[in-house]
Amino acid sequence: MPRPSPSLLPPFSRPESRVAIRRVSKYEADLGAVLFETLSEFDLPVRGKTILLKPNLVGLDPLGMMNTHPAVIAAARESFLRLGAAQVMVGDGPAMDRDTQAVLESIRLREFAGKLSNFFVDLNVDDLERVPLKTQASRLRELYFPKTVRGVDFLVSMPKLKTHHWAGVTLSLKNMFGVIPGSCYGWPKNILHWAGIDRAILDINAAVRPDFAIVDGIIGMEGNGPIQGVSKPAGVLIAGDDPVAVDATCARIMGLAPEKINHIAHAATLLGHIDAQKIRQLGESIASARTPFAVLEAFSHLRQAAA
Amino acid sequence: MNFSEEICLPYLRAAQNPDGGWGFRSGAQSRVEPTAWALLALEQVFSGRAAGPDAGASERGLRYLTGCQLVDGSWPSAPGQTQGAWVTSLACWAFLSANENRAALARGLNWLAAERPGDAGTWFRFLRGFTASKKISSQNDALWGWSWTAGTASWVEPTAYALLVLRAAPKDLIPSKAASRLKLAEAMLFDRMCPGGGWNCGNPMVYGVAGEPQVSTTVWALLALREHTQRTEIQQSLAWLEKNWSSIQSPASLALTQIALNAFDRGNPEFGPTLERLYAPDAIAWTVPVAAWAALAASGRKFWSQPASAEAKN
Repeated sequence: MPRPSPSLLPPFSRPESRVAIRRVSKYEADLGAVLFETLSEFDLPVRGKTILLKPNLVGLDPLGMMNTHPAVIAAARESFLRLGAAQVMVGDGPAMDRDTQAVLESIRLREFAGKLSNFFVDLNVDDLERVPLKTQASRLRELYFPKTVRGVDFLVSMPKLKTHHWAGVTLSLKNMFGVIPGSCYGWPKNILHWAGIDRAILDINAAVRPDFAIVDGIIGMEGNGPIQGVSKPAGVLIAGDDPVAVDATCARIMGLAPEKINHIAHAATLLGHIDAQKIRQLGESIASARTPFAVLEAFSHLRQAAA
Repeated sequence: MNFSEEICLPYLRAAQNPDGGWGFRSGAQSRVEPTAWALLALEQVFSGRAAGPDAGASERGLRYLTGCQLVDGSWPSAPGQTQGAWVTSLACWAFLSANENRAALARGLNWLAAERPGDAGTWFRFLRGFTASKKISSQNDALWGWSWTAGTASWVEPTAYALLVLRAAPKDLIPSKAASRLKLAEAMLFDRMCPGGGWNCGNPMVYGVAGEPQVSTTVWALLALREHTQRTEIQQSLAWLEKNWSSIQSPASLALTQIALNAFDRGNPEFGPTLERLYAPDAIAWTVPVAAWAALAASGRKFWSQPASAEAKN
């Protein structure tokens, strides 16, 4: 059975969103306990369900700077299993390297989460399903998606907290570029750039809206991200049941105004809340977690003054 | 251990679908790309087996490819797509290697020769001069090759595939309009090389910072440019591939590296033992293309320059 498309709701008819901010200073912390406790607060409907965790795996990363950290991926997987999920897969389609196994070995995911073939799906070479796009915000009228992504019960976007030299930031919404299969569109997935990055992000997330997002902000990336930026320790994990609200919260933590980030603003028209008044904050406050990220000059207009 | 005979061939046999095509894995939906790689390996490495379990496998695969060809001569990258993509080069390569279906090959080559990427137009280049992207990545906009999908930008890998097949095809099947594109595309590949050698699938420089080379892109670019052995860029890129050997952690990168080194008569004698060490039958990346690349690498055959010596059969 294909996964039903989420309804597209304007902000005024959408219930309040919840976003939790947790302080975690290093990857060696007990991330399993932190995430299990956090996820438990949301009372997620995952018991007996099939879950796909979609981390941000861009390319070879021996220094651990650009990809979602394997300790966070493993902790999330363990936490969803503890919450009663029947199966927790991890899947991505790296955009900047065709050799997905090499990417996984470079981040040592096996050491943290066990035998890769037990849980990992290479979305770049998965079987495909053609999906007409309801939103057509970009020039695209349809996209092919991996069947695994369309078939799971619960989809979790798991980006790293980073700036991006085309989109301003890359968080849980932009992270969904990774589900678009390289075997269909190439490496990089250039068709999305030609269609307009900001609007393509809305089209993709409307077709396969993440049910939940967990952002690895323990060490992020600032400046010329998503690959060539500089490590930025922010000491936080951010999790929430609305990818737009999570991204808006992350942007505020990074010292950026989410309303000025095109793709988050576009997504807020149909997919979630950007307005802080509609986002119930759990855990730490944004003010206490605020860690301004350096941005390229082209994105200096995104900076937000501290409240 | 004869890796090709004992591992690759049985895997490829078992993965062929009843429709004659191959998916990326056993049981996966048939696609043009894995079918083309499987056929290349069967023809080049395991050729001459008219009897036994492989009898007819190539024929069925080629029939699958023939059935996928679009009216305009191209092949789609996904079942049901109505627009051709870069896999057209790979499908042409499979027909060329098998020396079969000259008509399908001719139509494919004709499409390739006519297909222009989105960045080929003067209007695009004029506009790019005013956009932010010009400031982000510096490259020579007058140079273009082939794109992954219709109407998008030129990239190294699809350009290399097109160059390889257009160079290997019989002269009488290559449209005259292709000739002028080959030199332009070669120049584009040199322009997109990472500083210091090698290629990647993004931009070689972003905001003035050099990009890191990657194995697969470097391999196909080197094969496409193999006639320029003496150029510094080629030697630098080969040196990068050789230096990178010890950090390879997957059969895919290892096999591709060996394919490129074979092309320049610099194949690594440690290929076999290293492949056996890295191979795991249930690895997430042990796919039909990887099995085909491993077989091609182990064979040492220069399959990219295989001339269509005999008359095509159709």
